[in-house]
Amino acid sequence: MIININNEHFTLHQSGAIFWESKKMLLISDVHLGKVAHFRKHGIGIPKDAIFENFTRLSAVLEMFDAETIVFLGDLFHSTINNEWNLFSEWTKQHAKRIILVEGNHDIISKQYYTDLNIEIYKELIFDDFLLTHHPTEREGYFNFCGHIHPGIKLRGMGRQFLNLSCFFRKPNQLIFPAFGEFTGNSYVIPTENDKVYAITKDEVIEIALN
Amino acid sequence: MNRDELYTIAENWFHKQGWKSFPFQTQTWTAFLQGKNGLLNAPTGSGKTYALWFPIVLNYIKANPDYKNKHKPGLKAIWITPLRALSVEIKQAAERIVEDLDLQMTVGIRSGDTSQSERTKQSKKMPDLLVTTPESLQLLLASKEFAKTFASCTAIVVDEWHELLGTKRGVQMELALSRLKTVAPKMRIWGISATIGNLELAQQVLLGLDSEAYQNSVLIKASINKKIKVVSLLPEKMETYPWRGHMGLHLIDEVAKIIRKSKTTLVFTNVRSSCEMWYQAILEKYPEFAGDMAMHHGSISREIRQWVENAIRNEELKVVICTSSLDLGVDFAPVESIVQIGGPKGVARFLQRAGRSGHQPGKESVIYFLATHAMELIEASALKKAVAQHVVEDRIPYLNSWDVLVQYLNTLAVSDGFFPDEIYEEVKNTFCYQNITPEKWNWILNFITNGSQSLQAYDEFKKVEVEEDGRYKINSRLIAMHHRMQIGTIVGDASLNVKFLSGGYIGNIEEWFASKLKPGDVFTFAGKRLELFRVKNMQVLVRKADPKKTSRTVSWMGGRMSFSAQMSELLREELYAANNENLSPELKALKPIFERQRKESIVPGDDEFLIETFKTREGYHAVFYPFEGRFVHEALASILSYRISLLSSITFSLAYNDYGFELLSDQLIDIQAVLDNNLFSTEYVHEDLQKSLNATEMARRKFRDIAVIAGLVFTGMPGKPIKSKHLQSGSQLLFEVFRDYEPDNLLLQQAFTETFEHQLEEGRLLQALERINKQTIVWKQCMKPTPFSFPIITDRLREKLSSETLQERIKKMTASYMK
Repeated sequence: MIININNEHFTLHQSGAIFWESKKMLLISDVHLGKVAHFRKHGIGIPKDAIFENFTRLSAVLEMFDAETIVFLGDLFHSTINNEWNLFSEWTKQHAKRIILVEGNHDIISKQYYTDLNIEIYKELIFDDFLLTHHPTEREGYFNFCGHIHPGIKLRGMGRQFLNLSCFFRKPNQLIFPAFGEFTGNSYVIPTENDKVYAITKDEVIEIALN
Repeated sequence: MNRDELYTIAENWFHKQGWKSFPFQTQTWTAFLQGKNGLLNAPTGSGKTYALWFPIVLNYIKANPDYKNKHKPGLKAIWITPLRALSVEIKQAAERIVEDLDLQMTVGIRSGDTSQSERTKQSKKMPDLLVTTPESLQLLLASKEFAKTFASCTAIVVDEWHELLGTKRGVQMELALSRLKTVAPKMRIWGISATIGNLELAQQVLLGLDSEAYQNSVLIKASINKKIKVVSLLPEKMETYPWRGHMGLHLIDEVAKIIRKSKTTLVFTNVRSSCEMWYQAILEKYPEFAGDMAMHHGSISREIRQWVENAIRNEELKVVICTSSLDLGVDFAPVESIVQIGGPKGVARFLQRAGRSGHQPGKESVIYFLATHAMELIEASALKKAVAQHVVEDRIPYLNSWDVLVQYLNTLAVSDGFFPDEIYEEVKNTFCYQNITPEKWNWILNFITNGSQSLQAYDEFKKVEVEEDGRYKINSRLIAMHHRMQIGTIVGDASLNVKFLSGGYIGNIEEWFASKLKPGDVFTFAGKRLELFRVKNMQVLVRKADPKKTSRTVSWMGGRMSFSAQMSELLREELYAANNENLSPELKALKPIFERQRKESIVPGDDEFLIETFKTREGYHAVFYPFEGRFVHEALASILSYRISLLSSITFSLAYNDYGFELLSDQLIDIQAVLDNNLFSTEYVHEDLQKSLNATEMARRKFRDIAVIAGLVFTGMPGKPIKSKHLQSGSQLLFEVFRDYEPDNLLLQQAFTETFEHQLEEGRLLQALERINKQTIVWKQCMKPTPFSFPIITDRLREKLSSETLQERIKKMTASYMK
């Protein structure tokens, strides 16, 4: 699905990533790498194959778009350092792109690790009139791209039917990304009249009718 | 000292109390002193405590004739009680004997309520007689050198075994006993159980399948025939009886009359929220009861509960509104009347509650049944019959609970570690794990050591380590601590402590309810109106609320109960009887409802199977009435909706109660196609059930408890702030990860097995389908909902099943926005 914000085109992908066409930039939020390994290190036996899924999906979405830059909107790594970092390090070497991290609250590991992989780190980023942050931020004159809250939406229909889905949540001057990572949960949002909700399924992004 | 001399000691003591020993008591003494194990079937208030405390003490006297002067220290006996609340009573009974007989024995309690300093004292010097809970016993097994502590123990008594049997706490007990048999070879094992349908099996589960302990055991029945009278509370005018389940508050005046004329009345509700509501309602309508009324349920703080229990004993209370938290044990002599609000769902539970009154020997127990909606009156009529015919349900023990085994092995690994070969033999001799194979055992060992079935270089999994001598051990102090915290949490949602800002603990509410509250919201809890200040660190901070603000009542998810097979059969008989001339008082009272039902539809007879269809604002309803109990209906609804969804693409929302089930859709449901295609067929039942999405949803919920027990969900210490925030995850998420990446994981498979065997009751489902196939199907196309359908279609707790694609469904749905 392609949407238009401030005369720029953005492709919303069902993985939870957004491709910014004119900048050749792939935006991704809340991957939470290392979460599975963190649990396992503490004696909680989450299936370890789940570790690879994030990398498979990252590679797949990179192949889909002709991106030169990847921007992670925070919470790239879930907690303290563990072996999953090595997998990430290998992954970055396979994909020679410019990588930028906008810091999130979970990103607590030493900056040195990132700089060793040539990853640039910022508290926030500004491109034209777009403000990229981890926490939702409102600033006069800017459209804000952010993550952090892992938005989801609850749908209802005739015959007492209900559905819960992850979504992109768009306010007049803000777009909140869904969490990209496997093994992350949602927090459900209630839109207002002026908001737009783009739900993601396995195969596509669908705009949700509000009533 | 010979046996006669020992008995003289006991009989003299009984004589001094003005009592005479019952045959079942002396039979138990004899069997115990002969070195036998056993199961004692005796109800509460029958003197069962003395049936077992006495032989334990006599046995000590026998071995130590100089007992008055010389005391031999060390643990002699363990008394297990499923409810902490009962431990005080049991300790007091033991202390009476010890004091009166001049023994130098000490009696101690060890439970979740025991202070840390008391525990430390006990670890250094165990009391002679220890009263404890299954969880605390597990924690003892998790302490270093536990084997030494237990070595001298001569007896373990598992009280209220029927309550544990059929639960995972029961499995915990089986495992603990399997270990204790080895470390305490002199230990006799005794259980005490109320009457259940399968006492012989209960005995076998307790002692171990075909074990030596079982061979050397007896079953002793107290056979005390207690008279129980069941009275239904009927309104004067039936027309006003609500069609669906409310709280039953329309009969509050009748309840007040009962409270007035009895010394003490216990009012039992099925769930905590209706307990809170009844308390409020009585307080508002009859403020004169204020000083003599109290509330008792599992989420209220221990101090308040203990105060309530003591106040009942001391005749200081006129009425207590309570839940199953007062079902067990404690002997409340002053209780004269029992009121049961809403269907108790099982005969055994009903009898147990009835037995809470009229404790004096020979006195009749009276229980008043208050139906919360019209259909429940049929239940009242059926219950009366059950009581008269002594129909009691079975308790079905768990098999292959891998989650509990994982927890148990971690427990042993936390203490001194274990050697797998030794423990395998013990585990294999329990009832629960009688079918365990070496492959399954290895799977479990791999799971606790590698977190998976194969080792991989990058993996940092760490829990149980295998030491050089082959001992399995947890060495990390942090992991050991996490595990100890988890042992107590075998069931239950994450709960938050409710505290006043100024200090003072009130009780706990479930996380999902707390998450619905905003600061400033007012809610009623433990009979108090509270305003939420904020939620922080697993604590709900509140202050007294402005009395003018509107408040909501706290609710708990709890388990919804289902009719047992026995109860369902009685219920069907009663309902079919509605077409006869000879009606019970309850059915007579229901006459206006039946007339109303017959206007649109029929009251089915025993050879008829009723289906009703109608349309409302919500969509197209199809309601089916097998009268088989909630769980069977859940399975029937799943299987039928799945089969219909194969015919055309359609989405259903499913609802069920004990009488029938409903399929609701946004499209017309083609009943003719159901009949033409023989969709009630008994063929491929298992396959169809497995494929229906609904079963997956149910397994997802079962997995929650399994994940908690097996230590996959880190809940932290109740009430203590969680420092390891990064280790939290929802069990929903876990279920999906396991399903996607490790579908053959035994814990995941267990969730499905439990769904099919315990929840969907596949066996009963088949029988129900066979019965339906023999009946004539009567399909009524109604203009509007009938009285029978009303409680079902208004139920909001629903499942779904769909054969439409996600895209199709999303396009028909909307999200509501804040206006």
